[in-house]
Amino acid sequence: MNPDQLKYTKDHEWIGEDGGLYVVGITAHAQDQLGDVTYVELPAVGRAVSQGDETAVVESVKAASDIYAPAGGTVAEVNGALEDKPELVNQDPYGAGWFFKLKDVDASELGGLMDAAAYAKYAAESEH
Amino acid sequence: MRQTSLHDEYAASGAKVVDFHGWALPVQFAGIVQEHLHTRSEAGLFDCSHMGEFLLRGPDAIDAFDKMVYSDMKGLRIGLCRYSAILNDQGGIIDDCVALRLSDAEYYLVTNAGPLDEVNALFAGVPGVENISDATTKVDLQGPKARAILLAEGLECVRDLKYWNGLRTTWRGHDLVITRAGYTGELGYELFVPNAAGPELWRALLAHPEVAPCGLGARDTLRTEVGYPLNGEDLAPTKTPLECGMERFIAWDTEFPGKAAIAAQRDAGNHTVLTAIKTDSRRAPRHGMELKHNGEVVGVVTSGTFGPSVSFGVGLADIPKALSAPGTVLAAGPKDLMVETAGIPIYTDGTCRMKFTD
Repeated sequence: MNPDQLKYTKDHEWIGEDGGLYVVGITAHAQDQLGDVTYVELPAVGRAVSQGDETAVVESVKAASDIYAPAGGTVAEVNGALEDKPELVNQDPYGAGWFFKLKDVDASELGGLMDAAAYAKYAAESEH
Repeated sequence: MRQTSLHDEYAASGAKVVDFHGWALPVQFAGIVQEHLHTRSEAGLFDCSHMGEFLLRGPDAIDAFDKMVYSDMKGLRIGLCRYSAILNDQGGIIDDCVALRLSDAEYYLVTNAGPLDEVNALFAGVPGVENISDATTKVDLQGPKARAILLAEGLECVRDLKYWNGLRTTWRGHDLVITRAGYTGELGYELFVPNAAGPELWRALLAHPEVAPCGLGARDTLRTEVGYPLNGEDLAPTKTPLECGMERFIAWDTEFPGKAAIAAQRDAGNHTVLTAIKTDSRRAPRHGMELKHNGEVVGVVTSGTFGPSVSFGVGLADIPKALSAPGTVLAAGPKDLMVETAGIPIYTDGTCRMKFTD
């Protein structure tokens, strides 16, 4: 269920290359744990971030969580649709529920992230 | 974890189960927002069997209870419910509670799960007190369709049952205590049956297409939108009824624990008051966030969530009395989330007081 072409962080973000930009979102496991997403705070376009920086905030009925940049880069686009429809994060976490896109990414930073199989194992273990 | 009589029913409805005060209870079924909205428009069914119930029979039991709370329980009319709080010697709140006067000499007392052992200990040795918590299944049916559903179940007694009234009856031969009360702001009923009848009642109500099973998550968002406090979050043994927004309920002509301290606090008038707060966005205040007024920390958020019916953040907070009137702007948490004090209820379209002519 976690797409093979993406890389995954221990904080349950995903990152994947798309047309020269790197798209970032949260995983199906993450949205399931959060429950109904009610608000997403997105970064300013043009903001430079380093790997691990707090870059967005996701709030559910139950709690608020920080979203960390899976890699360094510059914010090139944000998903404005989440402002009015944050539930897209629940409905389509790997598609319409994306958060932001980064440019100027150093692809070598993705080397330390998990692939889909490793993440699936990690997510299953983190439930306990 | 302890399980209610309805535990085996949860899985059929897809529940996500969590630990709540040592009880395995559903936090959600289809999803918190969906359950919340369904309760406001149709009817939601909640398992509240973790809560405490006591039968108080005879003058000793009724007198002992009357002395624990700030209300005049002896003056309660038969068939009426009264909301109150059980106090410690400092006037702090051990638990909030609802008592129904079933007859001249019998009351039905409903308390919370968290402080149940402590409340039970307060009644130790008092003749006529029976703690029936472990034997009782409590389900709440809440929402504008609730009355029609119970009428369809043959409970003709709800036809003329007014808000905050209750009675003892039977359903399919099972003992039933029913009150028109709840924790959602909607038209609704709390039903108490022996555990043996619990699953049958749960299934019978769920069989109505208007009824959706709801968990603790929706229960929390529903109650927060209408400003009902939760013991352990908004109410605490360190806080008095004055600090918890209960001042208008206090029967000052009765005796109750900590009365002198509470009266002194009232006269000084500089205490905090549990106050509703709201945001102007989808961002929610959260339990524990500090509240600043003109840069100075003045209070703390005790409950906070997104309000699905109002589409903004709602909560309750301890705020100085002088700042508690609606419209005070405060900054919450490390990011200075803007919140404003509000009147209770924040969500004003609740159906709980609905009147019927049919």
